[in-house]
Amino acid sequence: MRKSALAGWLLLAPSLVLLGGLVVFPVVYNAWLSLFDKHAFLPVQRFVGLGHYVYFAHDEEFWNSFGHGLVYAGATLVLQIAVGIPTALLLNEGFRGRNLLRGVVLFPYVIPTIVAVMLWKWLLNDSYGLVNHLLVAFGLTRTPVAWLGKDWIMASLVITSVWQFFPFVVVTYLARLQTIPPELYEAATVDGAGAWRRFRHVTLPQTRSVLFVIVLLRSIWMFTKFDTVWLMAGDGGVSRYIRTLPVYAYARSFTYLQAGMGAALAVIMFVMLIVATAVYFRVFEREEAIS
Amino acid sequence: MRYPRARRAGLLYLGGLALLVIGAFPLFWMLSTSLKPSAEIFATPPRLVPAHPTLENFGRLFSDTRFLTFFRNSALVSLATVALTLGVSAPGAYGLTRFAFAGREKVAGLILTTYMFAPVMIIIPFYILVKELGIVNTRLALVLSYTTFCLPFCLWLLRAFFESIPLELEEAALVDGAGRGRAVWHVVLPLALPGLIAAAIFTFILAYNDFLFALVLITSEELKTLPVGVNDLFNATIVDWGMIMAAGVMITVPAVLFFAGVQRYLVQGWGAGGVKG
Repeated sequence: MRKSALAGWLLLAPSLVLLGGLVVFPVVYNAWLSLFDKHAFLPVQRFVGLGHYVYFAHDEEFWNSFGHGLVYAGATLVLQIAVGIPTALLLNEGFRGRNLLRGVVLFPYVIPTIVAVMLWKWLLNDSYGLVNHLLVAFGLTRTPVAWLGKDWIMASLVITSVWQFFPFVVVTYLARLQTIPPELYEAATVDGAGAWRRFRHVTLPQTRSVLFVIVLLRSIWMFTKFDTVWLMAGDGGVSRYIRTLPVYAYARSFTYLQAGMGAALAVIMFVMLIVATAVYFRVFEREEAIS
Repeated sequence: MRYPRARRAGLLYLGGLALLVIGAFPLFWMLSTSLKPSAEIFATPPRLVPAHPTLENFGRLFSDTRFLTFFRNSALVSLATVALTLGVSAPGAYGLTRFAFAGREKVAGLILTTYMFAPVMIIIPFYILVKELGIVNTRLALVLSYTTFCLPFCLWLLRAFFESIPLELEEAALVDGAGRGRAVWHVVLPLALPGLIAAAIFTFILAYNDFLFALVLITSEELKTLPVGVNDLFNATIVDWGMIMAAGVMITVPAVLFFAGVQRYLVQGWGAGGVKG
């Protein structure tokens, strides 16, 4: 028994060392660092207590970034679900070419972010982009839309992100759909339920918990998304119209070289996520109790 | 079915077609653009298929940029990450399922919570740590950071796979006189292969895709990986779209090949917990 416990710990040791050293320690160190004015490269540091947090409470840039993050995460979440669930329902039906489509739908998710972004920047290019060409050709707009200009850059970012991440919703939802017993649908059909009512009274209740997980994971991941947002506009020019908290934290740390401030932003994001998750679980549990 | 058959089929195929356009057309457009001579790239109206297909964009990509260096770095780092992650997580997951020890469930739960951290939330202390260790601007730093980020998911995935393998099989091998090592090698690992492959794919995709760590931890041109190196192509005064699309094609091919080769194993992994991103 003793020996077996030792063997278990030994096998697990490399994982624990890596996670402890490279995740847990940095998280703790990050919280500590957020109390200091620290240069990103030089070893100078000065204790400022909660100074950074007080600063951000009045920092316009912070609140703008927070707002952008809410808009970005909210819009992409709603659209990913609006596109992803009908797609999953479609791919759950039996028809020729279904397996091919199941593969195709994963493409956007499998290709690296850099490719997704460069591809959409090209499609949305104001002078030579295919999207503008089609819009003008079909008479939907008279002049080309400046997709990557300040008015439309957020919309472009949302389009790119939804395209890139809706397959996650499809695959996760589809995996659950496939486990719903067909008898439930047969019984509903016998009772005279049409497609909509079958969805409403069989599919939805059966997939509630997977939807719960999808909404939770996708909103956390969209809110903390760095690469897609950063790649869309870099850190100059129109980037300030889509700057979210992760990008702001990066800019504070590695552009302005204020590592302490960047660390404080990371802590703020972390606390926001924990609070949001806790509230979300609460609300969901209550609903569960009612139904 | 209340819908008449023909209408149902019509709706399905319409939806299928829409999906095909959404999923595959942008990639087709990337390929098409990469094969066009520059006059055609900027032609109005744009042509769907290049009239005079050419490889000159790819030629410029290989001769005028360090694309091949970035490519090599990405391949090295991603494969090393896969090897290290599997080497660490497979024994760990095996330990979690086959040996009873106090606090085992707690440890497993804690490991899962580390999965919630987004890279951007620890990148600053991580950078400082890596600098203290003296491995900033090395491939090792990238491999270590990706491994750490893939570990929680891989441990959970593999734990689920090991749990599904009946203990009796191993015990039978042990009774037959095989040592534990041989029992694991000949009995457990072959049965856990789909899980190992799924874990390898997740790890590869995450490492191959990463932008943030590569942006922060790598400063020298010779060590840059594809996402950061290729993004620099946008810094040119005149953006060379043909060459950028060629780069996109070159980056996509390995990712899609790697994925297609092992896709059937993936559904199980996806069912077991999803992939981060």
